[in-house]
Parts: sequence; structure tokens; C-alpha cells
Amino acid sequence: MNPHLLTILIFLPLVAATAMFVVPAGKRNAYKYIALATGVLQLVLSGGMYYLFHPKGAGISQERLYQFVDHVPWIRLDMGNLGRLEIDYFIGVDGLSMPLLFLSALVMVIAIGASWNVQKSAKGYFVLLMILDMAVMGVFSALDFFLFYIFYELMLLPLYFLIGIWGGARREYAAIKFFLYTLFGSVFMLLIIVGLYFSVTNPETGAHTFNMLHMMDPANYVPGSFFSALAKQELFGIPARLLGFIVLFIAFAIKVPIVPLHTWLPDAHVEAPTPISIILAGILLKVGGYGILRICFSIFPDAAMQSAWWLGLIGVVSIIYGALVALAQRDLKRMIAYSSVSHMGFVLLGVASFTTEGTAGALFQMISHGFLSAALFFLVGMLYDRVHDRGIYHFRGLATLMPRYTVFVAIAFFASLGLPGFSAFIGEVFVIIGAFNAESANGLLPRWMAIAGSVGILLSAAYFLWTLQRMFFGQPRLKGGTVWSEALTDASPRETVIMVPMLVLALALGVYPALALDKINASVLALVELVTK
Amino acid sequence: MITLTHFLVVGACLFSIGLYAVMARRNAIMVLVGIELMINAAILNLVAFGRYDTEHYGGQAFALFAIVLAAASVAVALAIILNVYKHHKTINPEDINQLKD
Amino acid sequence: MTLPTPTYPLLAALATVLLPFIGFLLSAIAGRRAKSGAISITAIALSVVAAGYTFANVWGGEPIHIQWRWFTIGEQAFHVGLLLDNMAVLMLLLVSIVALPVHIYSVAYMKGDPGIHRYWTFLSLFCAAMLGLVIADNLLLMYVCWEIVGFASYLLIGFWFTKDAAVQANKRAFIINRIGDIGFLIGFAILYAGFGTLDINALFGPQGLFATAAGASTAGSTVHGGLPAGWITAAGLAFFLGAMAKSAQFPLHVWLPAAMEGPTSVSSLIHAATMVAAGVFLLARIFPVFDDTVLLVIAATGTVTALIAAYFALTQFDIKKILAFSTVSQLGFMMVGIGIGLYPIALFHLATHAFFKCLLFLCAGAVIHEMQHLNDKHRLGIDPQDIRNMGGLRRYMPVTFATMLIASLALVGFPLTSGYLSKDALLVHAFEWAALHQGAAHIIPYVLAFVSVLTSFYIFRLLAKVFFGTAATPALANGQAKLHDPSAWMVGPMLFLAACSLFPLFTLHPLNDGHVWLLQGIAVSKPWPSLPLLHIVIPVGAAFATLAVAVWVWRWYVGGKYTAKTDGPLYRLSFHQGYLDGLYDRFVVGTVLRFAGVLRWLDTYVVDGLVHGLTTLGRSLASAAGWVDQRIVDGLVRLFGKLAWGVGNVVRRTQTGRLQGYFASLFLVILVILLYHIIVQA
Repeated sequence: MNPHLLTILIFLPLVAATAMFVVPAGKRNAYKYIALATGVLQLVLSGGMYYLFHPKGAGISQERLYQFVDHVPWIRLDMGNLGRLEIDYFIGVDGLSMPLLFLSALVMVIAIGASWNVQKSAKGYFVLLMILDMAVMGVFSALDFFLFYIFYELMLLPLYFLIGIWGGARREYAAIKFFLYTLFGSVFMLLIIVGLYFSVTNPETGAHTFNMLHMMDPANYVPGSFFSALAKQELFGIPARLLGFIVLFIAFAIKVPIVPLHTWLPDAHVEAPTPISIILAGILLKVGGYGILRICFSIFPDAAMQSAWWLGLIGVVSIIYGALVALAQRDLKRMIAYSSVSHMGFVLLGVASFTTEGTAGALFQMISHGFLSAALFFLVGMLYDRVHDRGIYHFRGLATLMPRYTVFVAIAFFASLGLPGFSAFIGEVFVIIGAFNAESANGLLPRWMAIAGSVGILLSAAYFLWTLQRMFFGQPRLKGGTVWSEALTDASPRETVIMVPMLVLALALGVYPALALDKINASVLALVELVTK
Repeated sequence: MITLTHFLVVGACLFSIGLYAVMARRNAIMVLVGIELMINAAILNLVAFGRYDTEHYGGQAFALFAIVLAAASVAVALAIILNVYKHHKTINPEDINQLKD
Repeated sequence: MTLPTPTYPLLAALATVLLPFIGFLLSAIAGRRAKSGAISITAIALSVVAAGYTFANVWGGEPIHIQWRWFTIGEQAFHVGLLLDNMAVLMLLLVSIVALPVHIYSVAYMKGDPGIHRYWTFLSLFCAAMLGLVIADNLLLMYVCWEIVGFASYLLIGFWFTKDAAVQANKRAFIINRIGDIGFLIGFAILYAGFGTLDINALFGPQGLFATAAGASTAGSTVHGGLPAGWITAAGLAFFLGAMAKSAQFPLHVWLPAAMEGPTSVSSLIHAATMVAAGVFLLARIFPVFDDTVLLVIAATGTVTALIAAYFALTQFDIKKILAFSTVSQLGFMMVGIGIGLYPIALFHLATHAFFKCLLFLCAGAVIHEMQHLNDKHRLGIDPQDIRNMGGLRRYMPVTFATMLIASLALVGFPLTSGYLSKDALLVHAFEWAALHQGAAHIIPYVLAFVSVLTSFYIFRLLAKVFFGTAATPALANGQAKLHDPSAWMVGPMLFLAACSLFPLFTLHPLNDGHVWLLQGIAVSKPWPSLPLLHIVIPVGAAFATLAVAVWVWRWYVGGKYTAKTDGPLYRLSFHQGYLDGLYDRFVVGTVLRFAGVLRWLDTYVVDGLVHGLTTLGRSLASAAGWVDQRIVDGLVRLFGKLAWGVGNVVRRTQTGRLQGYFASLFLVILVILLYHIIVQA
């Protein structure tokens, strides 16, 4: 039986957005309640799906191993000499996407909770948020490349407006920068999609297809076509498949982001309103990592193996570079943004190892970073809401003024710096172990990369502890004097209710990682086998 | 004898006088009179040339038509002039230049 | 799931760990209501009982090993499990039994502190993590506990978080420990890459991979799993790095003296059986990993640490700093024990040291507590930890003096104390080891012997300055103020630990370490012959040297016979602790921060600058295109437009609106046409 749960999950926000259009603009509160209801509904739905998800459903390259599949023809167009256009509405989940779907649903609820006090044209804000929600869910479940691309691009639009309208002082700059950066990547992605389309045929109908799963099977490539592995086509002296891989990789790597394509991130994060920062860090960055695994690696495994050394290097550079730059920041939000760069570097290092430990670690790190970065940005937002300042040097001794808030910050910081018992620990440790194992398992990464990556763990302790010491401990001394100390009230019940689930989840995943690992193991094994076979 | 040429000369003179009246007079009525003169010059020519159409007398027939038409047009023109006077309190064509763009 | 046959010791061991953990959870939930510490004390007391039961049942018997699946990654399962062998249960008992008096002592010592509920919470977590560490059956779980120990110590060192020095100290402690954590992490990553398991029993047990591989391999070849040669050495060094940070070995020892910013009771726990013991315990646990190279490095590092720390301790005035350097120095001794291959002796010294060092700190705490009261009461404005402000306290605090004397004698290894047994065993074996290795190896035992002398000096100096002579504080000297021994809550634990610092706890032969039950339980075969002469010469020599030093110190500090030259370079080097803090701050921290600053600059101006450059390029291209579009493409269009307009403008003039003008032009046109026809026809 297939009750189309996944379709419902994806398009539920669209229904909500339509409902919001109907509600008259005067009823400000209605929008946020509709949004919250949608978010909670989605969370329950995705939680149920997560529970029902069978751990043996490896997915990756076999449609029958995907779960909650909806596969119906969508666009069929006879194009004469070019054959029949075959675009399907094809969605499904496997171990790679299921945890990320749940994560997205959760982060969305958090973001809606964080938007509770939005005043400026609430209707537009929540409608855009719902559209973004739909696009995100779609990206994580689409298995047709065309459909994927549509959702992928659809994410950009609401984000652009959400940053550009509801953002901080330099919001237009940040929004345009973000938009152009990501568009730059995805435009070239379109070329590769078209190239793949003309290289791959559906073995059943013989027509060209956008079906990703067909693209993963070398047997489906038209002999002599551009991306056929046997044809060894070249463009500008670069093998076509390598070129395709690189272009797709850059498209997703911008999202991850990697050094040196990361500079949109600090600006976007700093200027975006808190809920959007939460979504950016919690979900958007994961789209990059997910795309690399789902698309780059699965469709171009040969090129991925060739590039492993470079991917690992980029990962290591991102880890250390991000951490060092974070160490030098004076703005709390910027510091956390750069720490994201560093933490996402672990994802890249893990996937570049092509070992089960590394890949599972990377996936785990993505999930963990989803919760923790959302928590961190929410915490910064709490401070900013109260005094409209984020300078690390402008605060001291907050622990005395806001004890509960400080406890949250301390837990979130220690969880992020990889304290055992929290999820980031499992992710980082297994990325390091995987990277270390790579040399004996498949010889792709040298061991020094793992060692260099572990320095990132040290540096993350340095910047988090420094911030903790500088802002929270010592005698209270604030830049804004008594005005600030009156404004700095402790965490409100609403904020507590939002914070606790995130930290509890980070703790639960850290104490009992099997919660997530049991669901993703089969897929990780299948992926590693597909790539390294 | 009076040849065709004489008729044509008289017609030309009439036409010229009419033309002068149309171009130079500062009174719409006089312009109208000039037009009538020019029409009559044309009618004179029609009648004069009518001599060569002995079978159908086309010249004379056209002349009759033209006279009737001229009369009708004079009636219309006079009515216009009256209206113009009502509107502009003058019938000097120099002052009525609202046809300009 | 079925439990292995001896179920009760297993459950007891589990209880030992879980009780403080439950104590932690309950205190955390109770928050401010848990001021009395009853939860934590009950938990640790029950824990001691459970540990005692476990110890009684497991010690000398078969090791018990049980594990449950924790999670699976790929096809590799990871477990949580307990490995109860002699080493583990010994540590289990030691940790809990040292923690208990500290808990009880804290009731009085921390009384009235506004954040005391946090204190109990953190203390329980600290104990639980350390107890978990000792019975963990695999390296991953051990690493988890290892880091939580570090985290709990961070919380405790920074307990008074409004004090800047305290939060600086805990940050430093955690970051230096993190360096060690990375070593540990890399170490077990290497082992995992080579052997595919992290199970301690499977790796290092009697039938473990290391043992069988070493047995099977011919002489000269080494164990290396699937790894290229050298990686096992690297793993050994990496693990040692971990232990260096945790057990405060030079040059990573700086966090330990700084950690004195925490409450004294915490210091006593950190310095005795928890935290610093973890490093030594780790090395003992994974001992088969180390090859000769690594062992030599360990021995050398231990020696250097012992020497340097003792040297720094000579000139300190802060009572806790002296004791801290003393700990570092003793940890160096333990490292030498590991380095010469006799980890049981290192553990033995760890055990004896745990008691007397804990006692030393508790006594120091008692003194500080009293001095603090004096200071508060009479508003003296003195540093209650500075030994220059004390003196003559023997008369006011006789019990404290007596217990501290016992602890000090144990520290210097005076006969009849437990320290005598372990320290002399260590020294004797170091000499024997050096005799086997010849050459430069002799440096190590001689340096250690010299360090023993230094130890006697600094601890007697402390005793002389604090308890003998006349009171340095006027209020005390002229009888205005009185000090007294602290309350029974504090004295009780001190007396208990003093009793534990004497020889009967370990053997009934007061002068012979050959019958120590601890060394019989964790036996390791000694690859060299005993030198019987040493077993007489060293103890006797050490005892006389100690007495001589004691007399010298007496004459110096109580008799006032000599004065120290306080401006010599050696003195200043010692007093400023080798200027290491400054060096680290300037060179390591400074370099990292500068580098970070440079990278930030690069990020803003180069990486982002590149993006901006691209943007500028794009924009200038766009504006160039815009210019072309406006001036040339659109220009053409507008040219036509203008032309049409111009023509129209000229022609417009004819539109006078005058009827007669129109007539005239009409006429003219007809005339022209006529003329044209006439001319053309002609």
C-alpha cells in the first residue's frame, strides 16, 4: 500500500501557503499559527515515516529498494528527431534522504518558532517560508533529475526575498551575493543535466530520460554518447565524465560550502533574520552534502574516485581554514558561520574517504550539524533580539545575568566542539577514523589528512571556549551598560521550548547513535559499494 | 466669330479672378464668391467643350449638375460661415487658424 | 541477553559507575534544591561499597568481560562493555575510595558557596566519568569517558566563573587536554585501521591480537597489523601524547598548576585518583602497543617532567602551586615506571600517590580555609594561599599538621609510609633497567634520585614555612586571632587518608616491596635480573638523604641560617615556572591567533575580494555593454527618430491653419504637376 505519504509531506506547505493567501491580511497571527500547524504536521509525518522506514531499504541505485516511492509520468513530449521527452514525477527516500527529511521538518518547526515575532508583512514572510519548505522537502526526495533541479532552483527564490526583505542592514548585498553565488553553480549544473539526458536512455522504453537511477547504471548510457564511460569523450582536454563531475561538484560545493567558495555564507548568515540563518545552516548546507553523495558520487563514481584526493584536501582545508578564521572573528554570528564552514569540512573529508565509516560519519555529521547549528544561530538570535548587538567584545559575564541562557550556550558549544555524548562527536570521530582507514581500505586518502582534520577538533575547542570565556564568564560588563543589563532577560519559555528539543536530540543521537545509523547503514554500504566497485 | 479659345480665355479670366478672391480676400463670403466664380469658370469650360459632344450633350448635362451642386455647396458653406461667425465673431479666414497642428 | 556467570560483581561494577552518574542527573534536575550534597555523597558512598564488592570478587580471579551492541556503522559493530580485570577493579576501588573523603570534606569546605549545587553536580559527573573510564572495554568508550573527565574538570576548575583567572585556567586545561585527545583519537584510529577493532581485550588481552602476533612473529619483526611499519610506533606516540596532556607531562603540564584556580577539594581529586591518573592508566591499559622506541620516549619524558616540575616547585610561594608541581613531578615518576616496562609499579605508585597527594591537598585546603577566615574576619587583605603569610600554624592546627607531615613523608618516600614502598620500587627498578640498557640510560635513575632529594627539599620547605617558626601575620603573632583545626567533616577524611598513606594498606612488610599485594595481582615479568644490592642501598641512601635534607631545610627556614639568592637566573627561571606560560602565550597562542588574523584578512580581502573583483569585472563589463547599448545601438535608433522629428518639424511650418494658405499650396502643387506634365510631354 502506498498512501503517498511523501507527496503529502512535500506539498503540505503549498496547501498552507494557499490557505494563507485566502486569510485576510488583517489577521497577522493566523499566518504563524497556520505555519506552525503545518510544520508540526510535517514533523509528525516525517517522524512517522522515519519510524516506518525499513532499515534494509538501501535505495541508492535500485528503485525497488527505495521507500515511499511515487513514480508517475509527468511530461511526455514527442520531439521528433530528438526522441521523446521523458520527465517523471519520481520521488522516494532511502537511508541518505530519510534522516535529512526528518531533520528538515524539525528545523522548519524551529525556524517557525523563531519567526514568532515577525512584524514586517507577516503574510508574505510565511508564504515564502512555506514555499521554501516545500522546495527543501522536494530536493531531498526527488529522484528525477529534472524534478530535482526544479526544487533546487525553487529554494533560491524564497530565500532571496527572505534575506533581502527581512534581513539586517546590508541585506540587499547579502541576498544578491547569495543568489548569484548559488545560481552560478546551478546554471552549469543545468548543462550537465542536459548532457546526461542525451547520454542516458531508459532501458524499458528506449527513450532519453532524466531518471537519476538510470543515470547511475553504466549500461544505460548510449554508446559513444558524451558522458558514456566507454566513449572517453573529452572537452577542453578534460575527460567528459570528470568535467561533469567537477561541474556538479562545484554546484553543490558552493552550497556546502567549501573554501574558497564560502564567502557568501558569512554574509548571508549575518544579514539573514534568525529563522533564515537557522534554515540556511540547518538545511541548506545539507543540500550540498546530500547532492554530492546522491548525484556527484552515484552518477560519476569513476570521476569521484579520481578526485578523492582533491576532495579530501578541500575538506581538510575547509576544516582548518574555517576554524582559524572563526577564531579571529569579533562578531558572534560570523564566528558561528565560519564554524559551520569548518564543521562541514568534516563532511567533505568523510565522503572523500569512500569508506563506510567515513561516509556514515559524514552523513551523521550533517544531521548533527543540522541540529546544532540551528541551535547556535537561534541562541545568537536570542541575544540579538534583546540588545541588537552581536559583538563578542561587547559582552562579559553573561552567565551571571542569564544563567539559563548560558547553560544552553554552553551545552550547544560543547556539543558542537565534539564532546562525547553529543552527536557531533560521533560524526567527527568516524570521519577521522574513516579518513584514516582510507589508505588501508582503498588507498584514496593519505593518512596525514585525517591527522590534519583532527587539528580542526582542537581549534574548534579553542574558538568556542574563548567565546565562552570572553562573553559569559567573569564579572558582568556590558557595552550598553544598565540599559543592556535590563534588556538581557533570561531565556523565555517559548525560547526554552524551542531549544530543548534540539539539544535533547543532539544528546540522544550522541548517546545512542544507532537511532540514525541503523537507518542509514544499508544505504551507506550500497553507496560505497556502488562507487568503489 | 467667337471661337472655343474665347470661351476658354473668359473661363480662365473668371477662374483667375475667383482664385484671387479665394487667396486674397479677408472675408469668408468673398472667398465663397471666389469659389463660385471658379466653379462657374469650370461650368463655362464644360459648356464650351460640350459643343464637341453632339450625341449626348454631356457638357451641358454636367454643367447642370455642377450648378446644382454649387448651389447646394453654397448653402452648406454659408451655414458653416454662419456657425463660424457665431463661434469666432469673425469671418476673416486669417483669424480662423485652428486647423493648425 | 544472558549475563556471564559471575553476575553480581558485574552488576556491582555497573552500579559503581552508574550511581555517581545518577547522582549527577538527580543533582542536575534538582538544581538549587541540591545544596546539601546529600545526593552526591550517598551516591559515591554506595559506589564505594559496590566497588569494594566488585574488587573482592574479581581481584585475583578471572577477568569478566561483557558487552552490548551500541551501534553499527557499515558492517562494523561498536559496543559498550565492561572489562573487569585486576587493573580495572583496582582503579575502580581506588577512584571511588579517594573520591569519598573528598566529597565528605567538601561539605564543610564549600559550605555557604552560592553555587554549591553546581559543585555537587559537576563532582558527581567527574567521578562517574572517571569510573567509567577504568572499566571501559574498548578504546572508543574509554575515549568518551576520557573526554567527559576533561569536560567535568573544565567545569570544576572554572567553578568560580566570575574569576577571570579561573576561566582562563579552565580554558587552558581543556584546550591542552584537547591536544591530548587528538593524540588518543589518532592512536585508536591507527589501531582501528590496522586491526579493525577497538576492543581492549581483543587487542591487548592475553589472547589478543598483539599477544598472538608477538608470539607468532619471529625475533626482530614487530606487530603492525595491516599497517606499514612505523605506524604502530606512531600509534604509541599518539597515545602517549594523549597521556602527556592528561597526566600533565612536560611540556603540556602547564594546565595543572593553572588549574589550582578551582576549589581546593577539586584540586585534590584531580591530582589524586581522577584526571591525571587517567593518562597513566591509559598507558598501562594499552601497554602492548608500545615498542622500545616509544617506551624510551616515555621514560625520557617522565624523567624530564619529574626534574623540571620539582625544580619549579622549589621556589613557589603559593601552597597549592607547590603541591601541583609536586604532582607533575610524581607523574613523571609514574611515566618512568611505564617507560621501563613495569607498568604495575607505575600503577602502584599511582595508588599510593593518590592517597597521600589527596591528603596533602586536603590539608592545604584546611590551611587555606582557616587563613581565608582569618583574612575575612580581620580584613587583612592577604593572599590566603601564600606560604609567606603563614608560619607557626603547628600550634593552632595540630591535627592538620600531623596528617600533612605523614603525607609529606609519604611523598618523599620515608620508610613506613606507602610512598616509600612505591617510590623505592620505582627507583630500584629504574637502576636495574639502566644496568641492562647501559650508557646514557643511566641518566634516568640518577636524575630520579636527584629529584627525590629535590622533592624532600620543597616539601620540607613548605612544612617549615607553614607550620614552624613564628606566625608571619601580625594578628596571629600577637594573639589577637586564633586558628584551629577545621570541623570533623574535614578532619575525618584527612585522618582516613593519613591512615591510607601508611604501609599496612599495601603490605605488612614495612620495608620490603616484594610482598605488595597490588604488585602480585598485576604481575608482569621483568626482563632483567634483580640486583639485590640495590634493594638495600637505595632505600637506606634515600632515607638518609631525606633526613639530611630535612635538617638542612630546618636550619635554613626555621633557624634562618641561610638566605636564598632571589635574583639569580636559576631562581627566577624556577620562580616563573620556566617562563613557559609566557612562551606558550606568545609563541603558540600568539602565532595561531596571528595566523588566524592573517587568514581572516585573506578571507575578507583576498577570497572575498576575488569575488568582489569578479563582481566589479562583471559590473564594468555590464556598464561597458550598457554604454554601447545606449550610445551606439540605441543611438542609431534615436538618430532615426530625430531625423523623422526634424523633417516633421520643418514640414510642420506649412501647417499655418490658414485656409487660403492651403488653397495656395494646393494650387501650386497642381500647377507643378501640370508643368511637369507639359515639360515631360514636350
